[in-house]
Order: sequence, then structure tokens, then C-alpha cells
Amino acid sequence: MNDFIQNKAIHRRAFLKRGLQSGAILVSMPLWKSLSAKEIEALVGGESAAAVPASLSKDELQKLLKAALSRGGDFAEVYFERTVQNTIGLDEDKISSATRGVDMGAGFRVVQGEKTGYAYSDDLDPGKLKEAAETAALIASGAAGPSQTLKSFSPPSYYLVKVSPDSVAAKQKTELLIKANAVGRAFDKRITQFRAGFSDMTKKIIVANSEGLYVEDTQILTGLSATALALEGSMRGMGYESKSGSYGFEHFNPKLAEELARKAAEMAIRVLPAEDAPAGEFPIVIAKGFGGIFFHEAIGHSLEGDGIRKKTSCFWDKLNKPIATEAVTLLDDGTYKGGWGAVNVDDEGRPGHKTVLIDKGICAAFLQDKLNARLMKMDQTGNGRRQSFRFYPIPRMTNTYLLAGDFAPEDIIKSVDKGLYIAKIGGGNVQSTTGRFVFSVTEGYMVEGGKVTRPLKGIMLMGSGQDVLMNISKVGNDLLIIGGGTCGKGGQSKPVGFGNPTLKVDKITVGGGKA
Amino acid sequence: MATIDFKTLGKEVVSKARKWGADETEAALENVKDFSASVRKGDIESLQKSVSQGLGLRIFINKQFGFGYTSDLSPSSVDETIKKTIELARLTESKPWQGLPDSGPQPLPNLDLYDPDLVKVPDEKKIATAREVEKIALSLDKRITNSYGGGFSGGEREVGLFNSKGISFVLKMTQCGFNVGVIAGEGNNMQSGGWSSSKRFYKELDSIESVAQKAVKMAVEKLGPKPVPTKKVPVIFDRYAAPSFWAGILGALNGDAVFRKATFLTNSLNQEIASPMITVIDDATIPRFVASSPVDGEGNVTRRNVLIDKGLLKMFLYDSQIARKAGVKVNTMADRGSYRSLPSAGFLNVIVQNGKDSFESLLKDVKEGLYVMGLRGSGTDATTGAFSVGCNGFWIENGAIAFPVDGVTLGGTTLEILKGIDKVANDLDMRSSLNSPSFRVKEITVGGRKG
Repeated sequence: MNDFIQNKAIHRRAFLKRGLQSGAILVSMPLWKSLSAKEIEALVGGESAAAVPASLSKDELQKLLKAALSRGGDFAEVYFERTVQNTIGLDEDKISSATRGVDMGAGFRVVQGEKTGYAYSDDLDPGKLKEAAETAALIASGAAGPSQTLKSFSPPSYYLVKVSPDSVAAKQKTELLIKANAVGRAFDKRITQFRAGFSDMTKKIIVANSEGLYVEDTQILTGLSATALALEGSMRGMGYESKSGSYGFEHFNPKLAEELARKAAEMAIRVLPAEDAPAGEFPIVIAKGFGGIFFHEAIGHSLEGDGIRKKTSCFWDKLNKPIATEAVTLLDDGTYKGGWGAVNVDDEGRPGHKTVLIDKGICAAFLQDKLNARLMKMDQTGNGRRQSFRFYPIPRMTNTYLLAGDFAPEDIIKSVDKGLYIAKIGGGNVQSTTGRFVFSVTEGYMVEGGKVTRPLKGIMLMGSGQDVLMNISKVGNDLLIIGGGTCGKGGQSKPVGFGNPTLKVDKITVGGGKA
Repeated sequence: MATIDFKTLGKEVVSKARKWGADETEAALENVKDFSASVRKGDIESLQKSVSQGLGLRIFINKQFGFGYTSDLSPSSVDETIKKTIELARLTESKPWQGLPDSGPQPLPNLDLYDPDLVKVPDEKKIATAREVEKIALSLDKRITNSYGGGFSGGEREVGLFNSKGISFVLKMTQCGFNVGVIAGEGNNMQSGGWSSSKRFYKELDSIESVAQKAVKMAVEKLGPKPVPTKKVPVIFDRYAAPSFWAGILGALNGDAVFRKATFLTNSLNQEIASPMITVIDDATIPRFVASSPVDGEGNVTRRNVLIDKGLLKMFLYDSQIARKAGVKVNTMADRGSYRSLPSAGFLNVIVQNGKDSFESLLKDVKEGLYVMGLRGSGTDATTGAFSVGCNGFWIENGAIAFPVDGVTLGGTTLEILKGIDKVANDLDMRSSLNSPSFRVKEITVGGRKG
């Protein structure tokens, strides 16, 4: 990962294209640059009143749902969204950019059996909305479907927001960046480039469906990040650190900015003398936090209801069967407070849910949205998520993490004679049919004689979910859950959180340059 | 949809922004009409049809910069976007290179990118294509056990770009395509394969049979992979796997990263970075091609650029701002995703030039080696130039394909690999924005499962 290389998105796009063809799924870690759309409503003292247009009042929604079911169908749904995204970036010692985007529209979904009709409109004129509802209806045939009277419900909140980032003066945000820059630059004279970014997103949604569900939610995601580049002769090192979650501005202060900047700079300096990584099969120890990406890819995607129902996932027939060692208990938790993937309701209006996916090694549940849960006669798990009103929901992870075990992290490292210590993972992808995954490691070390020794570059980890879960032998007592990741699936990007305690995988294929 | 005249709106936005305080400004307008259908096991799985539009606005005041976008093109929302973006620009600090490209309006070549017949193709026919490609794929080989489904998507995109230096144009282009994905094998020996065809013109789409056949071949030939030992061997990159590799190289050519000395290619201009057999161009001027465009994301007229000439690095990738910052002549290569994103240094249509050899001759004299069919990532760490990537493909023994392999890694340094290219095939097949023939590398470390 190189945050100073701006066209990283190109690689991602290439992956997404491939993904559409063969079911590959990927996740990438922050880059404030790619926290995609951007904001600063607060900067300009903003109009945070996310007013719902009159064309989407409850009465109107009721009529639209009726129109959507006019040609039949089992189920109809309206999803309204108004999203404001803001960013401020500091680069080359200056506040270099400020951006703000407003995205608003409504999506209509009609489901009949396994068929989904979808249409959306970013024009909220009543006529256009009706047209979209009728377009979605084209999927269905038969007598008009039933539609219940809408009843509101208020879910509990898992967002840690006291001070809306919207309501904060711009100056307070730029001060954080300026502080980070000063600390990052001063850390070591080999730090030659430093970037910091603040971004926040406020997404107001309404979900209403023909079963009478009506729910509103306002999702807030906020992040502060720091990236440092160190140079010494021909050696280069990249470091980064961020804090992101469903947080209010009260979670961000100059002290935190300093800490993130220092950690980014430290990492850049630490990896500067990295040597080529070895190739072959090795035991690895994965540090707390970033290893969550590992579980997201290695197993999480393969437990999503769509792939299970279609039997395109390698785990489709594994419910209640052992798929991991007893050390592994894996959760997907939309209720994790302040999580980057936390949801009061998912994008189908289902309350956030804590789901035990693997219970002491046994496959205990799948991640379900409404469609797949109904077709499989299973319970919904609050995992129906979509990038925006331009997409219909599909099963997606929220915050995925491994529960802590008994081992002290030091003892886990001590148990490795020759292997690798994986401190940070940059991103990865999985093909859920074969279970094969890869991860690129942005910070890794040799472990020799039970000690973490030299830094390594160019580490790639590769394996299959089926194998690797059976090779997890030790799980630490130091669970850390982090945010800032973006997961891509089926052409849709979504924020996801993840976490893990320190853990040991007895053997995994490492790709490096040294034979 | 109430048709908004882009010319009128674009010019109005630019003049209002100027009046309200912007020194320089650019309005990007976009209207997209989309259709997509997916079919699985013969039944329609989803149908989607939509129209969307929006405005993206870049504002420069005293070389300070702000960006805003909105999907709401109502007069009040547009005015608010202009005002707030001006306020945003004022919050930032001045940087001397920030601003619009130097070039004013230029005549745009007609690259023939709009298919007037696409809109006349009935939805039923598009759905039938998705159904047919899946049906054929499922019938071709009895080892095919499951389906991801078939799909068709297509639509048209109207983009307008208007700036305070007089650039003012509206372009319309079409794109359509279909695809299929299948699974071969069962249990722990499942493999997936997929293929697609994507064109500007409906009539130029590949035949349904050929796409189905390719998808099936890709799944079936991967069945029963065997482990291989860790060792250094010759490696052939298939023409369809190669684009992922080149994406990594292009990332390291980013002009801004070069300016910051953040890429391993920082000091490599006019140096030999690859085998003399390698010439890479960026050329979006090919008529009717899916990745062509008469202009880049900033409104500069596109042209053919040589990036690597017979192994010598000739050019980094710059948009006009980064070029100004680095003090180099402008290259016309600003990529832009949509009105919601900013133009940035990138590429439009990269073509690695064909070599002289037939594909067979790449294989022929390899005693033991790897033929890479798919890469999981690009492999190149642009910061350090370290190379490592996961892949699948075939093991080669005595000049012939011996058995499939999966879950192996390639490792080394990117420069060693580029310089180690010893044969380039003449099998280029132009399909997307990144195109390459197959090529062979003398030696790469392959990381297998036996340590």
C-alpha cells in the first residue's frame, strides 16, 4: 500500500471487474484518500437538517409500495438515502483540499420468489419516484401483492456520537491535521513526506417495506488518518495509522492526532531497512487488530448467505460441522459500539445483530439478508447491506472478529522457532468457491528462536480458508477491534470493521523473493 | 426524466461560480442510463434499470482548492453546491500549481463511441442473451456443476465538461456487455471460471458461444491442482493474467509519487527498466474501442503516449496539476471515475506491444516452469519495488503443460522481473483499458506448499 500513489484506485477497479466475473472478493485498508467521497459540511457551518422530502412522507411511501406491488410480487421495499461526505486533507505541510459531496436518492426493490427487480431515482419528484417503483415492479407478474400499514420502530443505537462531526467548526478539524503533521515531520529527519486526513460521513436512511416496516436511521462514520514516508538512500518505508468508527467528534483531539502521527512515522522508520521476505511454508504469528482482515477474507465471505444458498461457497454444506480448531470462535457483530461496521439497522431495516459464526471451531451460522434467509428458511442476521440507493442489498459483514483466548502474546511468539510475525496487513482478497485467499503484508518481521528480529518487505500470505482455520493453534488474550477498512463485493464498497487477538497459524504459504 | 440541457447548465454554473468569487472553475456534468439483468439457472435473478445524474464542481481561488458534488440538479441545490464549494476552497491553503489545465478549448476528434442502435435493442433480447450464454455454458462440459449466472448490462453516458478557460463540450458514449460465471467440480475440488465481452457497439459483441466456451474452459482446466515445491523457474504470464501485473507497474509510474520520491522508479526516467522487448503505450484514440475517449478527465484532448520504449522508461503519469508541480510538460492522462470523483493522474488505455514469438514458442523450451493464468493482485509494492503475488496456472514440464497449480506465490523484485523478460508473444487481444500479450520471464521464485 502506498498512500502517495494516487491511482491506487485503478488496481481496485481492476479487481472489482475480475470480481464480477469469478466471485472474487476483496478488502483494502484505509488510505484516507480512498475513504472515497468526502465531506465538510461542518466546515461550512452546515445545514445538517437532513430533511426528508415531502414526496417520501409515510403516506407517500405507502402509495409507492402499493405501486411497486401492482403487478404482483412477495415483497416490496423503498430505501431512501441522503449522504453528506466531507474530507479535509493535509499534504506537503499545507491544508491542501476540502471536499464535500451530497448524494441523495431512493431505490425500489420488488421480490418475487428468487427474482429481484430494482430501480432507483436521484430525482425525488413524485412522478419520478412512481416511475421507479413501477420499473422495479416489472420483475413480477400476477395479482397485486399485499401491503401492510407502515409502523415505525426505533432500534437501540450502537453509534458513539455525542458531538456530530457536522456541527464542529472546520478549524477544529484542521488543527488536528496541523498537529499531526508537526509531530510526524519532527519525528525523524528521514520522514520526507507526511499526509493527514479527516473525513466524516453522515448518512440518513429510511427503509419502508410492504410488511409494514418503517425505520429511520442516521449513520455517522468519522476517521482521522496519518501516513508517513521515510527515505534513506535507496531505502523507502511507508507507515500509516488511523482511528475510524461510528464516532462523534469528541473521540478526536490533538493528543490522538499526535499519537497517530507518531505511530505512522515510527512504522515508516521501522520498515525502512526491510529485507526480501522468504518464500515457502512457515508458521506465522499475526498481531492483534489487523489480523481481523485475515478472518474477514479467509472465512467471513465464504459464510455469506448468497454463496451458501447457491452452493458457490466451499462451506455451503458445513453448518454444525467443524471447520476450524477449537481455539476459533468468530463473531460478526453489527452491535459493536462505535464499530466502523456498526449498524443500528442494516440496509433492509433489520436491527443490528451479534452472530456467532464459528463456535469453538464449529460452523454455527451464516450471514443473512432478507432474500437469502427467506429462501433458505433461516433467520435474518442483520447483514443486508448496500453501498447506496443505487444498489440492492446483499449479505455483507459488519464488524468481524475473533474472540480472545488464553495465551499471552509473548508466549505465542516464543513458541515459534523460525517463522514470520505479521504486524500489519494492507489488504487481501478471496475466491469464495475455492476458499483461496491472499493478503499483502505492509509490516512484517522474521521470528527466529522465539524472537521477533529483522523487518521484511514483499510478504504475501496465501492459503485456503479450509486449511488455515484448521491450523490456528494458539489464540492470545489481547483482542483489538479496528475500523477503516473498505470491503468490495459484487461491485459494491462497504465499510467493515474487524479484529483479533494475537494468534498463531502453524503453517501457511508465504510468497517472498528468497527461495 | 426531465431532460436538462447540459450546455446551458454547465455554462451557467461556471459563470455563477466566477461571479461569486472563484478565479477558476470547472463543472462536470453526467447523466447515466443503465440497464442490467442477471439470470441464474435459467431464471431471471435481477433486473435493474435506472437513470442518474449529477454535478461535480472544482473551484480554485488564489490557487486554493475546493471540490463539491451533488446528485440533485435542482436550481437551489446547484446554487448551494457552488456557494459551499467556494467556502471550502477558501478554507485551504494556496499551492502554486493548483488550477485548471493550461490548454483552452480544442476541437475534439470523433472517435465513434456512440451506438445509436443500442437503445433500440429490446430488454427481452438482452435478457435472452444472459439466459443463452448461461445455458450454453452449463451444457458444454459435464464437469460443470454450478452457475454464478449469466448477465447483460448496457447503457449510455452523457458527460459534459465546462471550465472558465473556455472548455465546453458534451459527449455521449455507449457501452454494453455480457458475461457468465460457472463452477466446475464438487466438494473441496471446486473451481470457478468466468468470461465476458464488453464493447461500445452492440453488434460488435463477441459470440455468445465463444464467451460460454471460454468461461467453461477457465473453470474446468483448473480442476485437480497439485502442489509444487518452492524453487526458481521460468514463468510465463498469460495475456489475460498479464494486465494485473502491468497495473502494478503503472502504479509506480504515478508522477506525484515520483515527485515525492515515493516510488522505486523515482530516478529511472530514460533508464532501462525492462527488457528491450517491452514497449508500453497509452492510447485512448482508437476509434470505437471500449477504453477510448477523445478527452481525459480534465478535458485535454487525448493522444498516443509512449511510456516504455524498448525497455527504456520514457514517461511518468501526470495530470496537469502534478505536471505543473513537477515542472514537466503536460501529459494528457487524467483519469476520472464519475462526477463524484476528482480527475487524477492515471492512464486511459494501456497497450503493451506485441512481440515476435508465437505463444507456443514461449512454452517450447521450458524444461520446468510455471504458466500463470491468474494473479491475485498486481504483486508490485510501488514504494520498495518488492514483488510478491499469489497466482494459479499450470506447471510446465518439458515444453508442455503438465498439471494445474493453485495457491502458489511469485516473489522477487519488480525490476528483476521486467528485465528478465526473455520472450514476448504476438497474441495481444484488446479487451479493456489494460492490454498485454503473453510474456515469459527467465526466472522467478515460486513459493509452493512444501517449504
